[in-house]
Amino acid sequence: MSETGTDDFSPLDQLPGDLMMWVLIVSELLVFGAGLAAFLGVRITDPAGFAASQDLLHRTAAGVNTLVLVTSGFLAALAVRSAEAGRIGATRVRLAAASALGLVFLVIKGLEYLEKARHGIGIETDSFFTFYYLLTGFHAAHVIAGIVILGLVGIRCAPRTVEVGAAFWHMVDLVWVLLFPVIYLLR
Amino acid sequence: MRALRDPLIRAWAWLIALSAASTALAVAVSQGLLSGRGVTLGGAAILILAWAKANVILSRYLGLAQAPFWHRGFRIVLGLYAVLLLGLYLIA
Repeated sequence: MSETGTDDFSPLDQLPGDLMMWVLIVSELLVFGAGLAAFLGVRITDPAGFAASQDLLHRTAAGVNTLVLVTSGFLAALAVRSAEAGRIGATRVRLAAASALGLVFLVIKGLEYLEKARHGIGIETDSFFTFYYLLTGFHAAHVIAGIVILGLVGIRCAPRTVEVGAAFWHMVDLVWVLLFPVIYLLR
Repeated sequence: MRALRDPLIRAWAWLIALSAASTALAVAVSQGLLSGRGVTLGGAAILILAWAKANVILSRYLGLAQAPFWHRGFRIVLGLYAVLLLGLYLIA
């Protein structure tokens, strides 16, 4: 409040959740954003090679993983709503369901990596697969971190902590919806 | 249909629909159903769908719909970023 009694409105007051979580979200988006722009930048030098390597990816599995992750994000958002209503049991169930779908995502991703390894495809195969492993691997590491965070906020269940944990999970979701089309779909 | 009045359920339904549309477009391209300029337009459409999905997540899942100042800022930056990706895609 100012001395005149009128509100000193700050845009920061509008921001939902925790400011530090938004700083983390923006920094992660910048890192992945730079990675995806670099991917498309290098693709300019060899579009045919990138298309040939992309054909070795399993688009349908990645599409299923997109559905899994956005549904998981939906459950995390519902968990925030139940936490705000003081329904601890429902909050924990929804967080657990969101985490379980995170595990499904990782299993599908793991099977995809396994299939690539069986065909002798690794991080050094070509530029496409270098970016593929770096970007999807870094994202998968965030999924693991997100599952741990959702577990922790489920234990220390309070509206504020659940909101912060869910925000991290939505960031993981947001990165995937940008990463999926650029790496798996664009021809 | 009453469930779709809930903004969260509506957001989830949009995300599912947009993701399915992206995958369908990509499958159409990879199976040769689109060719020539159609492939490029399909790619541009896939990027626009990704931009739309990111906006839904920001506004509904992350709650920026209730913070118009930040929502506008994120939409502008995300829009510029989508244009950058589109440019890099079209140059190739």
